[in-house]
Amino acid sequence: MTRSAAPPAENAGATRPVRASSKTPSSRVARLRQWSRLVFLVPAGLFVLFAFALPVAYNLLLSFQQTSPATISTLFAPFAGLANYDLVLSNSTTQSVIVRTFLFTAGSLLFQFLIGFALALLFSLRFPLRRLARSLVIIPWLLPLLITGLTFQYLLQLEAGAVNQILQFLGIIDEPIGFLLTPNWAFVSILVANIWIGIPFFTVLLFSALQDVPVELREAAMIDGANAWQRLTRVTIPIVRPVIEVAFVLGFVFTVKVFDLVIGLTQGGPANTTQILATWAYNLSFQQYDYGAGAALNTVLLIIALLAAPIYIWLNRQWLRGGQS
Amino acid sequence: MNRRQRPVTTVLASIGALLALVVVLFPLYAVIIASFQTSDQLIGARFNFWPATPTLDNYRNVIDVQGGHIASTLLIAGGTALLTLAISLPAAHLLAHYRFRVTAIIIGGLLVAQILPSIVIANSLFLLYHHLDLLDTYPGLILADASYAVPFAILVVRAFMLGLPKDVLQAAKVDGAGEWRTFTRIVLPMSRSAIITVAVFAFLNGWGDFIFALTLLPGSSGMAPITLSIYNYFGQFEQNLGAAMALAVMGMLPAAMLLIAAQRYIAAGLTLGSVKG
Repeated sequence: MTRSAAPPAENAGATRPVRASSKTPSSRVARLRQWSRLVFLVPAGLFVLFAFALPVAYNLLLSFQQTSPATISTLFAPFAGLANYDLVLSNSTTQSVIVRTFLFTAGSLLFQFLIGFALALLFSLRFPLRRLARSLVIIPWLLPLLITGLTFQYLLQLEAGAVNQILQFLGIIDEPIGFLLTPNWAFVSILVANIWIGIPFFTVLLFSALQDVPVELREAAMIDGANAWQRLTRVTIPIVRPVIEVAFVLGFVFTVKVFDLVIGLTQGGPANTTQILATWAYNLSFQQYDYGAGAALNTVLLIIALLAAPIYIWLNRQWLRGGQS
Repeated sequence: MNRRQRPVTTVLASIGALLALVVVLFPLYAVIIASFQTSDQLIGARFNFWPATPTLDNYRNVIDVQGGHIASTLLIAGGTALLTLAISLPAAHLLAHYRFRVTAIIIGGLLVAQILPSIVIANSLFLLYHHLDLLDTYPGLILADASYAVPFAILVVRAFMLGLPKDVLQAAKVDGAGEWRTFTRIVLPMSRSAIITVAVFAFLNGWGDFIFALTLLPGSSGMAPITLSIYNYFGQFEQNLGAAMALAVMGMLPAAMLLIAAQRYIAAGLTLGSVKG
């Protein structure tokens, strides 16, 4: 802390470092200043209370209430104990929704990582227009997720669907597949669409990590006789591993709450076989008007999503402290 | 990564990249091509890789019928970006440049807020808004849409501000600049790139939002953003598929334009670990 210029006289008291005892007038001014600075935090504090704390608290409250379409006119319906949780969790559709959400998340992350890593390695090579290719590949990640879902619905149609037509042209299938009409194919469809959306995220993160792998290390491994696969698994992957971990944690956080894509692509159908936690909670609340049941399932979703919180905070630990004084 | 590369590797890499781009961009191509065809052509027996009789009817139709919704979407997205900046920038400044006992708790809380699923927020806000008379209002929707971006914006801008040279801030203090003056005249201009990044993301979040529009605009009024319009068009697949495609192209435009105009800011946002959805 260097002080090159003397503070102007009228502000001398306020800018002097707080070292004197709390009784002197100058320190009282400094204290007042310190408190007045908190005004900067007020909008954010109010917003966090309104948009995050209040909805989560109200969701908890709601999940213990006996709601009906009529109780929408009152904020506080009769207490129902664990009835909503009981009802929701004993429902066989909900049980398969929970299993499906895990399969959807695990499958998405696995393939997003494998394909994203392969593309990141590819983009690390030299070829014409590689910068353009790298920026074009980000596009799927920026599009409104609902529009992506609807686009895939259009592409996966039975008769005029591009995917069926291309697969038939390539001789992979003889008859068009009812991608959105049969439960297993519909699940594959939401999985593939979600993988498509998430690849750019993994590619960009892993690509920038690969740029930090020292060339010397790989060359040294080459001189020592390591083949390409050994250089990848023994040198490159251990170095980019922290970024892989970050990508998986973030990927988990935003895959477990996917909503728009499934609504756009299948609306949870056929016969609820592509419902996942977020869409099923929406269905309970807004289509069956059982807000209590929806809130109970939301609590389940919340708990699953928050499983990632400790790891996420730990990965961001460098930002927790700091700040100049 | 490699200093030297064999020509055969370059050729293979080019082919691989081309294939990857075809797969990545094909859905976009399909939508753009579809937007120049009539609904009848689109639900016919074959997928057309090229429009047989290209027409602008879908666009004329959409601009006629959906003009208000397009303007509404711009208002929602712009409002979301402005509100996000107004809330986040002062908080980021304070958390970057002063040390509080609770800083770690606040940052941890923001990280947790980023994780919360939007459906949980939407479900509660629907009932709360019912009582606050905020359903079917712009302020209600913009407040909800800002929840996508505010935690991200505070975290990203604060991380950036932590890297600003301390001497400059100190010098401003010494020269007698108040907190607000230091913030607006020195901190904000120096943080321009981080601010652009979060503004772009907040705008795209507001533009592409579906879940809050679906739940918090139950009156399906003229306020509905185009995501909701396209969704409704798809509900009547046969009649409106062509119009839906033209509107979908418009829905994709801001993302494409911002990618061209602010590419480095978008890549920065991605690598700073933004969470969407």
